[in-house]
Amino acid sequence: MALNFKQETFRDDYSYSNSAHAIRRFPFPFAEDQYMYSVNIEPHTKGEPGSVYEFPFDIDEHYVAECLDKEITLMQDPGRYHALPHMMDAQWDFLELTMTALANDYPEHFSLSRNGQTWTWDNKPLGVCDTFTFGDSSTLVREPFDYIGRQVQGDFVLLDQRDGTLYADAGIVTSQADWSLAFNVGMSWKEWHGPVPRATEIGVMDRALKYLLNLQLANPVRRLNWTMTVNPRLDTSPENYPYWGGDRNKVNTDNVGDLVNLRVELQSLFRLPRSNAIVFSIRCYLMSLKDVTSYPRWAKRLHRVQKTMHPDLIEYKGMTKFHPIVVDWLSKFDDGAELGIGTHPE
Amino acid sequence: MERGYWIKSKPVYTSLVWHEKATSHLVLATGIGGMAVLKLFQQMHPRQPVTVLYARYAQMDADYSETLKKVVPENLYIFKFEEALLASLKEILPDTRMGLRLYVAGSEGFIWDVAGVAKQFGIDDAEIMKELTDTLARSVYCVHCKSVTRNVTTNIVPCCGCERMLFVRDHFSRNLGAYMGLMVDAESPGELPAIEEIYP
Repeated sequence: MALNFKQETFRDDYSYSNSAHAIRRFPFPFAEDQYMYSVNIEPHTKGEPGSVYEFPFDIDEHYVAECLDKEITLMQDPGRYHALPHMMDAQWDFLELTMTALANDYPEHFSLSRNGQTWTWDNKPLGVCDTFTFGDSSTLVREPFDYIGRQVQGDFVLLDQRDGTLYADAGIVTSQADWSLAFNVGMSWKEWHGPVPRATEIGVMDRALKYLLNLQLANPVRRLNWTMTVNPRLDTSPENYPYWGGDRNKVNTDNVGDLVNLRVELQSLFRLPRSNAIVFSIRCYLMSLKDVTSYPRWAKRLHRVQKTMHPDLIEYKGMTKFHPIVVDWLSKFDDGAELGIGTHPE
Repeated sequence: MERGYWIKSKPVYTSLVWHEKATSHLVLATGIGGMAVLKLFQQMHPRQPVTVLYARYAQMDADYSETLKKVVPENLYIFKFEEALLASLKEILPDTRMGLRLYVAGSEGFIWDVAGVAKQFGIDDAEIMKELTDTLARSVYCVHCKSVTRNVTTNIVPCCGCERMLFVRDHFSRNLGAYMGLMVDAESPGELPAIEEIYP
């Protein structure tokens, strides 16, 4: 089925919006009435047709606008892409994985033809068509990871595995929830996750690392993470915090439903064949609180989760200023009826 | 500490101890770091060759060069400035072999300057033994304009590049050898918490 790509923006006038279809397939992350970090990793297997889990890399109605936003961010700050020199094998691994997946899963929009080492990549929505020699960076306009990373929705980090841990040694990061690639590049797993409150104390990080070190080729895994963002802004980077941080003051009782967005990251991890590195894919979905209330079950669930949120997590996720307004607004949608376990909308 | 929780990316520094397994030893120190070198020489002396590079720490009077001259039998090189010491390190490292052990004692800025030079020669910082002396002063990386402000002793500092007031986070990048600085009053311009010296 061909997708209808929307013209919309993730900055300035924020014309981004979700269609009814996009709302229905939104990866709502709360299966229970309480939330705490856990090793919520599951196999990244094929999901229902039309769901965000149908294919390894989800392409949706926001694809073209999101790639354009990515271009703007990279143009303003080239440091959002960084790859340490020893990651070149992993770069080509990544290019092969994503091109193969997109051409296979969205044949109306992408095609890849291979003739020995000579490959032709045709990206119709973005109007890109290039022939290059696989393994030879000089035949592409950019490094391979940079080249194709710009043509897939989401952020990507390539993790190098050595000394019994994972190092974030390359990344293309333009839609992050307040972490800096330029600062984190080269960090080990423990250093990278240093700022996450409570997670280390309850042993989550050690267990997740152990799990990932044993990640097998062709058996990717996934988890959901979430936060809330004022305005549908992809680039909530620390680099640009002076430009978006003040938006947190703008939330009030009248505009909270429109202004505050539930921001969900579908994080998936794939082992790569040549380099033995891991792709960490962080695909961001945004939905206004008003859209969340399209489904009463979600509105009630979100209210209960937020009402019982640990203060450390509220602070870490940067929600302290507007969180009481969110809880108060959501309470109007919660009649207290019991909800079964599960993230489904109805 | 920061907002009631503790960040784990801050490096752990220890006291210098000789590695038993090595082909040679290279010790680098500034200022009070000279005392760490003297303590090393109180330990059982390694059989492999030892080289010591020492410079005064510019911000302080502490100078152990005279004592070091008496204690270090050979291959002691004294420098007036850290910069000269680092330049000398760049000349020494290409001629070293596998099994070289590196020891550093001095300010955090000096420790990570040495690690930065060593990295250019394929030596990972995990291979370097580090002792923090002289000062807790920090190098601070401005996440907004990417400048590094050195010798920061306060919780909040004006960026040397963009002049924004930066809150010094406890988040440390080995790659940059610096802590993260984040604009402190972005959400409420001009409203600054009290500026205090907490990294003397």
